[in-house]
Amino acid sequence: MKQRLFFSYMLLLALLATACDLQKDIEVELPPYEPELVVEGYLEYGKPYRITVLESSSYFDKPEVPLVPDAKAYITFRGRRIELHYQPHADQVHNKYYTHRSDEVMRGRPGDVYTLEVSDDRGRKVTAVTTILPHVPIDTIEWRFNTREEALLLTSFQDDPDRANYYRYVVHRDSVERASAREIVTDDGLTNGQLVTLGGGYNYAKNDTLIISLYHIEEKYHDFLRSTSDAKSSNGNPFAQPSRIKSTVEGGIGVFTNLVYDRKMIIIK
Amino acid sequence: MRLPSYLPSLFLLMLLFLGPVTRAQVVKATIKGQVQTASDGQPLPGATVGVPQLGIGDITDGKGFYSFGLPAGDYTLQVTFIGYETISRQITVNSSSQTINFSLQDAGNVLQEVVVEANTLRQKLNTPRMSVELLTSTEAKLLPALFGEVDLIKTLQLKPGVQSGGEGASGLYVRGGGPDQNLVLLDDAVIYNPAHLFGFFSVFNPDAVRSVELYKGGFPAQFGGRLSSVVDVELNKGNPEKFTATGGLGLISSRLTLEGPMAKDKASFILSGRRTYSDVFTRLLNKANEGSADYSPIPDYYFYDLNGKFNYQLSSKDELTFSSYFGRDFFNFSDNNFKVGFDWGNSMASLRWRHRFNAGAFVTTSVSTSNYQYTIANQIEEFSLRLRSDIQDFTLKTDFNLTLNDRHHLKVGAMATSHSFTIGRLNFGGGDDRFSVSAGNSFRATEFGTYISDDFEVNSLLTLNYGLRFSGFSNKGKNYFGLEPRASAKYNLTETLVLKASFASMMQYIHLVANSGASLPTDVWYPSSPNVKPQRSQQVAVGASKLLGKGKYLLTNEVYYKWMHNQLDFRDGANLFVNDSLENEFLFGKGESYGNELYLEKITGKTTGWIGYTLSWTYRQFEGINDSRKFPNRYDRRHDISVVLLHRLNKRISLTGAFVYGTGNAYSLPVARFAMQDVEGRSASIIPIYSERNSFRLAAYHRLDLGMVLKLRPRRGESDLTFSVYNAYNRRNPYFVYFDQVNEEDDKTPVAFKAKQVSLFPVIPSVTYNFKF
Repeated sequence: MKQRLFFSYMLLLALLATACDLQKDIEVELPPYEPELVVEGYLEYGKPYRITVLESSSYFDKPEVPLVPDAKAYITFRGRRIELHYQPHADQVHNKYYTHRSDEVMRGRPGDVYTLEVSDDRGRKVTAVTTILPHVPIDTIEWRFNTREEALLLTSFQDDPDRANYYRYVVHRDSVERASAREIVTDDGLTNGQLVTLGGGYNYAKNDTLIISLYHIEEKYHDFLRSTSDAKSSNGNPFAQPSRIKSTVEGGIGVFTNLVYDRKMIIIK
Repeated sequence: MRLPSYLPSLFLLMLLFLGPVTRAQVVKATIKGQVQTASDGQPLPGATVGVPQLGIGDITDGKGFYSFGLPAGDYTLQVTFIGYETISRQITVNSSSQTINFSLQDAGNVLQEVVVEANTLRQKLNTPRMSVELLTSTEAKLLPALFGEVDLIKTLQLKPGVQSGGEGASGLYVRGGGPDQNLVLLDDAVIYNPAHLFGFFSVFNPDAVRSVELYKGGFPAQFGGRLSSVVDVELNKGNPEKFTATGGLGLISSRLTLEGPMAKDKASFILSGRRTYSDVFTRLLNKANEGSADYSPIPDYYFYDLNGKFNYQLSSKDELTFSSYFGRDFFNFSDNNFKVGFDWGNSMASLRWRHRFNAGAFVTTSVSTSNYQYTIANQIEEFSLRLRSDIQDFTLKTDFNLTLNDRHHLKVGAMATSHSFTIGRLNFGGGDDRFSVSAGNSFRATEFGTYISDDFEVNSLLTLNYGLRFSGFSNKGKNYFGLEPRASAKYNLTETLVLKASFASMMQYIHLVANSGASLPTDVWYPSSPNVKPQRSQQVAVGASKLLGKGKYLLTNEVYYKWMHNQLDFRDGANLFVNDSLENEFLFGKGESYGNELYLEKITGKTTGWIGYTLSWTYRQFEGINDSRKFPNRYDRRHDISVVLLHRLNKRISLTGAFVYGTGNAYSLPVARFAMQDVEGRSASIIPIYSERNSFRLAAYHRLDLGMVLKLRPRRGESDLTFSVYNAYNRRNPYFVYFDQVNEEDDKTPVAFKAKQVSLFPVIPSVTYNFKF
């Protein structure tokens, strides 16, 4: 709601700025910046260990993929240290890029703890811990039509009242390989222990194929997602107070977490 | 630059020792009274009353009252105010106090030649008050304004020590304090959010307002509850002699004021209204484009405000005044399946009874209520959302003014406020119970303050004011109390050079939850609680005033240092909108600000105006922000210059100009970036990395506004055309800066990043038609 108002206001500003040529390029001198290791790793049951290790860059540096070939990465599980080898490759199906991998497949159960350690020859070292969360099943999916035959999608699930829970709800059209049509990151602060129902606008039509995913996520991953979203929206918002990135890793930037989700596919009829 | 804390005490001590050895002149009697306009009985704030031959006098306060001491003898008392005929009256002073009221005749119109004696500035020099700016609606109406909308609060931004919140914004940042640290009073009742349209206009209609007094420091003991300033706004009284209508047609709004007598010499009224009308045009535009597939309807937006004041003279010693304000902003948007309404605004009502016991004692007692609220109502088919926050006050207040003898003037008073807070009251519902979500907090709190202060004329050269305020606050079983000592001194070093000093300790028990640089309507007030301590500050100021050019110019310099404790900020990424555990998002820290304000003014002759220069620093420090290191406040402005000139070309035409220059705002920009692929690679994005808080500076801000008031010659009444050119040389001042990604034309591959600056207002000419009959 607040965002809608804000965007309306920003739209007015943007119209005014464009109409009167009130925008111009300027030179900004940035302070010297020492790049940090950036790690992105999502553990998923039945999938091999794969992570991406890159570097951050000074903002006006030439855009390129800042690889760190000398980075060594290890995942430790139940006392066993598994090396992830440097093998930059692209997953064409999911359109993702990885730098380090192992053939070993993740078989963790709820409560299991995995640790990550990444270091390079410059002495930079990143560590992280993730605990596998229990699966939260989708209870019901329903949809309603308005008078113009547009459908509203509603997804319900039961929240566990005995713990603080965080969720990521994603709806894809046709395939999860495409960008999501709707995404909500939320907590149970206002709905603890309730049957929670998430929805959106009347955005769908008859015969749309939708894939609904409900991720049960860690608090620190929730905070990371919120902080990256805030940081992005701060750039260009004169009223925002810029926020720092709340990484789930120590010693660098990024996220190391596990993906536990329930996923269902429906066709709007 | 840090001033030692003992400096003011030392300064006062020095003056006390100097006092007895200076030339003795026995003060025999206090002369006091009220200055009003002859035409409509309005109190005249800012008028000078004094004895030119002695250089002794006073400037009337916001309610037109003055008071000063004179030795026995025969004198010529003179009363002057710009735009009014000067009055001279012979008086004989003996050992008893005298109350002398004056009614000044309008000089015809504000452009007419006014003879103001050169001693006006001398009396201003001699006033014991410091760090106070007074502005009348009459003065503000002469100056150029954005979209032609005269705004007294924005005009105050042209005074030294007062910063604006940004391009076009009406917030006041006084000596390093935030806009939430200003106590905004309208006829003694609090106005909580004094802004329309995201802070671009203040809520004060210039036709309804008589004057604004801004205290930047040296706060009198009767004021409390905020750290940084007191903005004391006085509404006009209705004309007791005849019915009049005043109004104006402007670019974005129109105004109409009706006033007149209700019972001859007993009662008068004034009713004033203002409304913007952009929504009328946007609705027509929307209707014309109805059905067009490419057209997105423009949301409705408008605001209005209404002011009313009724005066009733119960007897020669008793006067009853009822004042009220009601204002609302509306934002509405709807299409086929979506409807949103957003309204916000203040309301206020106060009833004041003023009783005069005798020439040396009177009491003012008031009951008032204030309210600020916003409501957002959103409807999508059967789903509805309603979010509301508000603050509601009921206040009882009484102030005694007692002249004990020729040298002591005592003020004693007390106030108590019952606050009700509703914070983020959310109700979301759908077709059945599954969708019901509710949230929000409510608090009831009590605030009180009691004070005593004494104006003490030690001798003809030295005047002291000292007082103590005792305040308290109670919420959720937690009680806070505060002792707030206040003191000020004035010493006449020579006939043209006066030294002044002040100290003020302040407490603030309620806090504004606002995480942006603008005055957003969704900002809510939050009470002190067991976990949220009240804010505190101490401010010391020393200054000197010097008459120059045979009394034509007054040069004033003030140095100040302010310490602020228990300051409030918010965690990175704090959710301040709907949050039942709002206190968990708060961070507490400290602040300091210091600076020097130089002010040269000329108020007589055909060309008048002022030049102000402020050199200042302001910082904040919080555990959890900026690695707990000190950082500059967003409105830390090293240099701030304002030049305001008014030139009376002839009896019909007045030309005005205002130039401002300020160091660019402190600003946070990302220093680095990283790429994040996310769970789905298709959602990959560039994430900015911010480091130091407010470590960059926007480009300097400067702007020239020009204006002209052309007096027309209507058959009946008076009228004028006021022309304004805002930003006359079309300076592209920075509103904000962001970093943009430059992509390949054929695909979305980034090839570079660059910085862009966005400005808000180009040159904006406007014209307003004003009338009175």
